[in-house]
Amino acid sequence: MIADVPTGAVAARRTHSAERGLDLLNLFVAGVQGGFGPFVAVYLTTQGWTQTAIGFALSIGTVTAMASQVPAGALVDAVRRKSLVAAFSILAFSVSALVFAIHPSPLLIYLVEMLHGISSCTLGPAIVAMSLAVAGRAALGMRLGRNARYASIGNGLGAVLMGACGYYISSRAVFILAAALTLPALFALLPLARLDRDPRMDPEPPPERHAGVLEVLTERRLLIFAASAMLFTLGNAALLPLASTTLTRRAGDAASLLIAACIVLPQLIVALCSPEFGRIVEARGRRGILLLGFAVLPIRGALLALVADPTLIVMIQALDGIAAASFGIMVPLITSDLAGRSGHFNLSLGFVGFAIGLGATASTTLAGWIADRLGDPAAFASLAAIGLAATILIASAMPETGPQSRRGPAL
Amino acid sequence: MTRRVGATAAALALLALTAAASAAAQATATGGSEAPPAPPLYLESIPPGDALSILGTKVYDAAGADMGPIVDVLVDRTGAPRGAVIDVGGFLGVGSRKVAVDWRLIYFRPWDDKMPILLDLTRAEVQAAPEYKGAKTVKLVGPPPPVEGKSVPDDAK
Repeated sequence: MIADVPTGAVAARRTHSAERGLDLLNLFVAGVQGGFGPFVAVYLTTQGWTQTAIGFALSIGTVTAMASQVPAGALVDAVRRKSLVAAFSILAFSVSALVFAIHPSPLLIYLVEMLHGISSCTLGPAIVAMSLAVAGRAALGMRLGRNARYASIGNGLGAVLMGACGYYISSRAVFILAAALTLPALFALLPLARLDRDPRMDPEPPPERHAGVLEVLTERRLLIFAASAMLFTLGNAALLPLASTTLTRRAGDAASLLIAACIVLPQLIVALCSPEFGRIVEARGRRGILLLGFAVLPIRGALLALVADPTLIVMIQALDGIAAASFGIMVPLITSDLAGRSGHFNLSLGFVGFAIGLGATASTTLAGWIADRLGDPAAFASLAAIGLAATILIASAMPETGPQSRRGPAL
Repeated sequence: MTRRVGATAAALALLALTAAASAAAQATATGGSEAPPAPPLYLESIPPGDALSILGTKVYDAAGADMGPIVDVLVDRTGAPRGAVIDVGGFLGVGSRKVAVDWRLIYFRPWDDKMPILLDLTRAEVQAAPEYKGAKTVKLVGPPPPVEGKSVPDDAK
């Protein structure tokens, strides 16, 4: 097996095709995931499901995803061939989408909601681990910027395609499309699978020293980052649904199109910004882009509290792209800075993901509760205040984590 | 380690498949077993085009615009329907809101496959409606409709 060690040119070509593979993988996976969001509720409604049963199915998905974040990270740490983990996760998406499309009976839907929750948690870290293997630690920021660009394109195109499918064909067609999109995602894995069989492409050099799991997870900077990421999501996750409901109430016939714009425009901005963000982060350190991403949230929340015009709401929502681009790069990158060499990288990523999941789950409940009692502007203002707290926490307590931190202050 | 992951995934897939098979089997079993009725059942058959399943069925306004699906029905103490909850608007499930409308504003046309349910409200009226927040504090969108020309729910009174 080790007989044909690739020559330099072959290795370079393989790296190139692996880069392409990662691009397409991010593109298609993001497209597939679009079907499993809030659209599940729409689809099950058309299948005659009661609101109670739909709520139950969605909660099963949420709880499973939360519970499996950290274990899934540990599993990805333990498996050497990350492309295999990714392949099984994507296959699980195919099965889930097909079950949704073909036989949406309660028991099966509950099962595939669990299956999808678990495989989402294994796929994310597996993609980051493969990115690390392909790009190397020094260029990880750039690679993550590229991941974010392709994921956002997949996200935006997926939303448009699925919206059109649901509108012109049927909501069942959306899941058939999601299942179909898993096939190119699997093909995109092929060059990556070759890569992790290549003996010279060992993803992780042996850890410098084995740190205990607890030692890694109680690292001060990781805790601060996880806490601020949780606060950020607590302020962020409810903004889109809340702004969209405002549009449905105010914008007349164009409401659905404006909501579509609220979903797609930020993705466009992510696609434009994230490669540049990746470069800046590698050249000048993490803190600038990190702060920028966090600071957008309180500004958006405050503006949404003040503004009523539908077009302005869409433009304010588009700003989310800046935060999303920053966040998409920073979560894996800072986790890699802090835990990358410990042998518990993916577990740490799962831990941060768990914190983010907590924030996201609590966000809509909290915003809905405030909106009910004090009105929408108060809800927007509260989310802005939470975002401000997250930004202050980052600004005051989170040090630079990049290699620049050893050379002196960044920026 | 890799093998173990493979095995787990395979087991999960197998689980899903068995569940699918058993569900399908159950469906055929219940579907095909009208044969042994121990007590006599009085079956009334409704001719096609006379009845309508409404949960998840879309509601259209008079202009033919899609208002969203009926997601719940509210009944009074006699079991008579008082209102329907409609999930209005949104894109891919984002931004929709639930609105409760008076049952007398809804017209059912089971014979019409394209637009089986019509709602006698304009989009602006539906948009102005308060959001439905569960059956404890319902605000139904009226107004009480005129009595002439109603086909269905007058017996509800």
